Amino acid sequence: MQLSPKLAAKFDKLQSSYPVKRSALIPMLMYGQDELGSVSDELIAEIARRLGLNNVQVEETLAYYSMLHRQPIGKHHVQVCTNVACMLRGGAELLEHAKKRLEIGHKEVTKDGVFSLEEVECIGACTGAPAIQVNYDFYENVTPLNLDRLIEDLDKGKRPEPQGVISGALHERAKQETPLISKRWGIKDSHKIDVALQHGAYQALDKALKQMTPESIIDEVKQSSLRGRGGAGFPTGLKWSFVPKDSPKPKYVICNADESEPGTCKDRPLMEMDPHQLIEGITIAGRAINAHSGFIYIRGEYRYVLDIVDAAIAEAYERGYLGKNILDSGFDFDLLIHTGAGAYECGEESALMESLEGKRGNPRIKPPFPAVVGLYGCPTIINNVETLCAVPAIILEGGLTYANRGTPKNGGTRLLCVSGSVNKPGIYEIPLGMNMKKFIDEMAGGMRNGKKLKAVIPGGSSCPVFRAEEIDIAMDYDTVAKAGSMLGSGGMVVIDEDTCMVDMARRIMHFYAHESCGWCIPCREGTSWLKKMLDRFHAGLGRPEDIDLIGELSMNMLGRTFCPLGDAAAMPTISIVQKFRNEFEDHLQGRCAYNKSAEALIGSR
Amino acid sequence: MAETKLVHLKIDDRDVEVPAGTLVIEATRRLGIEVPSFCYYPGLTLQAACRMCLIEVEKAPKLQTACTQVVGEGMVVRTNTEQVRNARKFMLEFLLSNHPLDCPVCDKGGECELQDMVFRYGADTSRFVEEKIHRPEEKWSDLVYYDAPRCILCFRCVRVCDEGMDVKALGVGMRGAHSIIIPNREDHLECEECGMCIDICPVGALTSGTYRYKTRPWEMQYVSTICTHCSNGCKTTLSVRNHEILRANNRDLSGINKEFLCVKGRFGFDFTKHPERLKQPLLRKGGKLFPVSWEEAAQAAATKLKELHTAYGGEAIGFIGSNRASNEENYMLQRLARATFGTNNIDHHRTADYTGLVTALGERAADSSLTMEHLYQSNAVLVIGNDPSNQNPLVGWQIRAGIRHNGAKIFLVNSREIKLERKATQFVQVADGQEAAAVRWLATGEGQLAAGVSEKLAALKSALEAEPDVAIVFGSELTGKAIEDVVAFGLKLPGKVRYMALGDYANSRGAADMGVLPDRLPGYAYLDNRGVVESLAKHWGAQVPTKQGMTAPEMIDAAQTGRLKALYVVGANPFAHFGKSAAGRGNLGLLIVHELFLTETAQLADIVFPAASAYEKDGSVTNTAGEIQLLHKAAEVMGARSDFDLLRIVSHQLERAGLGKAFHFKTPAAVFEEIRKTVPGYNVESIGLLTGGAEPTKIEFSKNGHAPYDVPVQLIRPANDNLFTSGTLGRFCTMMQTLPEAEAKP
Ligand SMILES: Cc1cc2nc3c(=O)[nH]c(=O)nc-3n(C[C@H](O)[C@H](O)[C@H](O)COP(=O)(O)O)c2cc1C
Ligand code: SF4
Ligand code: SF4
Ligand code: SF4
Ligand code: FES
Repeated sequence: MQLSPKLAAKFDKLQSSYPVKRSALIPMLMYGQDELGSVSDELIAEIARRLGLNNVQVEETLAYYSMLHRQPIGKHHVQVCTNVACMLRGGAELLEHAKKRLEIGHKEVTKDGVFSLEEVECIGACTGAPAIQVNYDFYENVTPLNLDRLIEDLDKGKRPEPQGVISGALHERAKQETPLISKRWGIKDSHKIDVALQHGAYQALDKALKQMTPESIIDEVKQSSLRGRGGAGFPTGLKWSFVPKDSPKPKYVICNADESEPGTCKDRPLMEMDPHQLIEGITIAGRAINAHSGFIYIRGEYRYVLDIVDAAIAEAYERGYLGKNILDSGFDFDLLIHTGAGAYECGEESALMESLEGKRGNPRIKPPFPAVVGLYGCPTIINNVETLCAVPAIILEGGLTYANRGTPKNGGTRLLCVSGSVNKPGIYEIPLGMNMKKFIDEMAGGMRNGKKLKAVIPGGSSCPVFRAEEIDIAMDYDTVAKAGSMLGSGGMVVIDEDTCMVDMARRIMHFYAHESCGWCIPCREGTSWLKKMLDRFHAGLGRPEDIDLIGELSMNMLGRTFCPLGDAAAMPTISIVQKFRNEFEDHLQGRCAYNKSAEALIGSR
Repeated sequence: MAETKLVHLKIDDRDVEVPAGTLVIEATRRLGIEVPSFCYYPGLTLQAACRMCLIEVEKAPKLQTACTQVVGEGMVVRTNTEQVRNARKFMLEFLLSNHPLDCPVCDKGGECELQDMVFRYGADTSRFVEEKIHRPEEKWSDLVYYDAPRCILCFRCVRVCDEGMDVKALGVGMRGAHSIIIPNREDHLECEECGMCIDICPVGALTSGTYRYKTRPWEMQYVSTICTHCSNGCKTTLSVRNHEILRANNRDLSGINKEFLCVKGRFGFDFTKHPERLKQPLLRKGGKLFPVSWEEAAQAAATKLKELHTAYGGEAIGFIGSNRASNEENYMLQRLARATFGTNNIDHHRTADYTGLVTALGERAADSSLTMEHLYQSNAVLVIGNDPSNQNPLVGWQIRAGIRHNGAKIFLVNSREIKLERKATQFVQVADGQEAAAVRWLATGEGQLAAGVSEKLAALKSALEAEPDVAIVFGSELTGKAIEDVVAFGLKLPGKVRYMALGDYANSRGAADMGVLPDRLPGYAYLDNRGVVESLAKHWGAQVPTKQGMTAPEMIDAAQTGRLKALYVVGANPFAHFGKSAAGRGNLGLLIVHELFLTETAQLADIVFPAASAYEKDGSVTNTAGEIQLLHKAAEVMGARSDFDLLRIVSHQLERAGLGKAFHFKTPAAVFEEIRKTVPGYNVESIGLLTGGAEPTKIEFSKNGHAPYDVPVQLIRPANDNLFTSGTLGRFCTMMQTLPEAEAKP
């Protein structure tokens, strides 16, 4: 196959960038598709040839990822998010509008091939809901009216200025905020190394490399009681200490920038406004476990963020903060950013490693855990973007100081992205332990349009929901867990009285059914069954026994699936059935008081 | 083997002691406790995908998968609690939610693991009222069909194709509930067509093109016998209805091959009912072959044989035995030649130099033979020549399994880049035909090799020196002297070394072992081995000739020159193999042939007896590794008779005509009794054989002061059969012939 010189050069580079060639597969498919409009047979053959794979290895991998298309998509691929945060702000209506305007349905292409439409899952723009993407460009707070204008412009060959930095990160600082890892946000050109250096970047790296040992770095992080910001909240220092010191194998650091948990959009500003902080954190982590190579796995939708981070990595190499003999310390560290291709499950750490190895994103059997057997079978630590971004601050101010910002065992600050029915959706850095009710009422500006609060998803759609009266609690991992939910990924979705909870359960289940990798029976079949049942139920065709069945099926997924995605699907569902059973019963009577466009939502995917 | 630590645990209140590292699911099976599973499959990688095997482990926060949970000291496991039963019930309910439940029309009905599980563990009703995902059935090849809705995504097929076969033709497409299995060429398969995926599929998602919709499992009888194609000797279970073979598989995982069968073993049985099968004796009259009665044919054969014997003596009569006939039949044929006709003019189409191997090993022969199990267990395997994955599929399978399960290292010396190369630790590529030279270098350090080859061989040698257990497997590239070299090399290695010569055809080894050789008696005894000669004479009640006979090619030549007057061919096609069919039968006065089909040789014959195939008779065969196994009659083709029967009939007619003694064996088993007594190495325990096992021969051989052995290279003629060919027989396996992959192969 004849590739354009640019693509050929890209492929050549990708092929030689990884310890194992196959790792280049997904990026090659993505960049190939970007140029050719789809993944053609020839492209498959070319990539297979270059990577020494057979057809089926390429095909089974690409079939897994929702951003990869075998059939050509439109020149402008309009992707409308209808997941929870957008749903609360009219995402579904926007999708309907787009269908009418473009006269095509979900996953269809206009006759002239100019536009295609897709209903997509959370794209990480929750604080600017409803949001859409056209190809890789983001547009926030999209109304039907400005969607029309956008489409007109595109049709005329104009590219309307896309949203750069996510708007939710650019608000005035509230006085309760404690900017630590977000401190360089809002500074002009903060993603550039000179600006970052002026504002203190790489001082922690210097200290870690010159004044500390790997052990003392780990101790400092342990002392900070930093817990993973990716969802599970595992103590970071402890995780690092699991890496076997005597293993002869290479060790790896992976930064999990797959950010796909519905309601979550905090890693995105961390990367776009302060990529050097992240690079610094990763490099320190590498030093701590004696790794010489790291990867940032970033979700495929965040292409422009990838480009920003990639440029920052290049700067860091240039200035000697990456590469050989960093800051004359004798420590070598290489860093590569790697694009995903549309799969929530690839945020799960072991599935991510499979994906990074160029395979389907199926999770792995644990134990062994990644710290012992991870990427390419080697000891690997994997951490969320925000977790790694906290590391430079911890090194600089000391573990104890950092810890004291939060509550015991819940050290430091964290980013909360609040979206949904609040007046000031946004991304806020707060000390752990702040009161949830106060946070919503004060920092998030209280309820929008003076509506009453009905429910809160505290940390991404995988968490059990709280009823309005359950939220007068401290926001730290342990307290929220005690109250029956999770702080999760920090994606808080606030739900007002006008929202139908059956519809909410339905939309949440659509997400998990769409994202289930299909590996294990209970999740694969359970999410698909529940999705169909909730569709039917929401459409008014429910049977009384369905309510218990929904709960029972979820209960039987819980704890029995291969990976936590099954639990993530079950937990919110169980909580909604338990806490809002009355709304299910109302549906049996043909009453869905809240949703005006129920039919429009059904069967859309 | 290093001693493994034992671990004690309690399963359902029973104490059990198992080696450390055992999986709980295996430990439960030891106690006879069944933990249901779909995705767990011994020998393949762990998946933990189906979640059927969830069990309670004390102190674990949630149910654990028995298929991945490793036993621990003092562990307490419960497999039959309310919670566990409930989990299984739900798992099945989940599974059935998208399953078509078309059992009445599903091929797998009656032997479906899902059906069984639902019966044992499932709920009686389904609460699923939503629409199921539908996809039409797909035909992937003439042999493999896929019905996605029935697929439970256990990934057994994908794994067996990748891990077991190293073909990687199957993958998983889509994701979530839409996940499906996909073939390697978009909508069809291009692969080795072994059908392993079909048989490993627990449900009716993958079905066989030759078997589908033919019958129901309970309407058939099952006969386990030995594959009649290559020399590896896989056990195959034939499913038979009304004397007709409908299917071949090995689902009980018994035999040396466990579940393995290649395309020939699994699908190559249709020759049995090929329309061109011979069903009546044929007699040449006025230049043409006419069907005649059994009596007429047998009498004609005996009369003419007697006449020529009287006129020209035994020297003028030749016998060619069969690579596919049983040990008993080959034994009877050589006994007929030697005892009745007093000649050593007996040979067969030799495809490997078994004589050379036994001779080179001498006293070590019994101890140094490499069985298929040894091959699997060996730490290191040196393969010289041949292309096991293609020519000796079970050997290839065993080698791959050894790599996967035991971390065996593979060393190749070959002129071609064979498929095994991608699994090889070291590959030494030599020039065409230089395998023997490479071996000479290994043994003696002598000889000229292409640049760089000796360095590579030196590396290979030092690697093998570090191995405690070495298997050496070689093809027909090594014969005579070269085999002496390889054995000399093996003797220098510090580890235990065992050898396997790779021949073609199901019973080439047996034919050689039985003494269907002009220069060796049964058990490779030299013609002057007094002990063996006396023992044979006693059993046969006849003199044993001591003059060396003609080889098969020599007999064909002698037929042209007229030195040979009569040729008796059993299940062989020498006129095709030795390139003389164009020249015709020469000056032969009599050509008798036992055959299934009117082959090139049969067309030249005076008398053709319709013979039964291996699937239509009892007896024993010996595979290339020297393992004896029993054949069991599965099918019946009206009119055809086994060579055992035919030789008996002819011997009776001969006796009546005044030549020799008739065979009085009532059954092949009776012949085997004699073989046990007369063929050194065959005095094996019969209990193992009778229960369907394989018994390695223990050839006792003594050089008796004979000169070093060598063999003219052209005497060993490999058939070079590949996955889709099987000598003359393969031409009548219609299904195999028509596969596109068969055409693509050289
Ligand atoms: C289905 C699923 C999706 C996940 N997605 C993400 C993600 O997008 N980003 C992330 O950082 N962690 C995600 N996680 C959590 C990771 O598995 C892992 O715990 C995390 O990356 C560890 O980093 P941390 O300790 O810094 O949080 C996900 C987990 C599951 C089960
Ligand atoms: S729970 Fe099972 S099907 Fe669901 S994402 Fe995890 S492994 Fe895949
Ligand atoms: S086709 Fe059969 S073996 Fe393969 S995954 Fe499906 S059910 Fe399992
Ligand atoms: S490997 Fe040989 S014996 Fe085994 S099934 Fe194939 S042809 Fe038959
Ligand atoms: S057998 Fe254990 S999960 Fe399938």
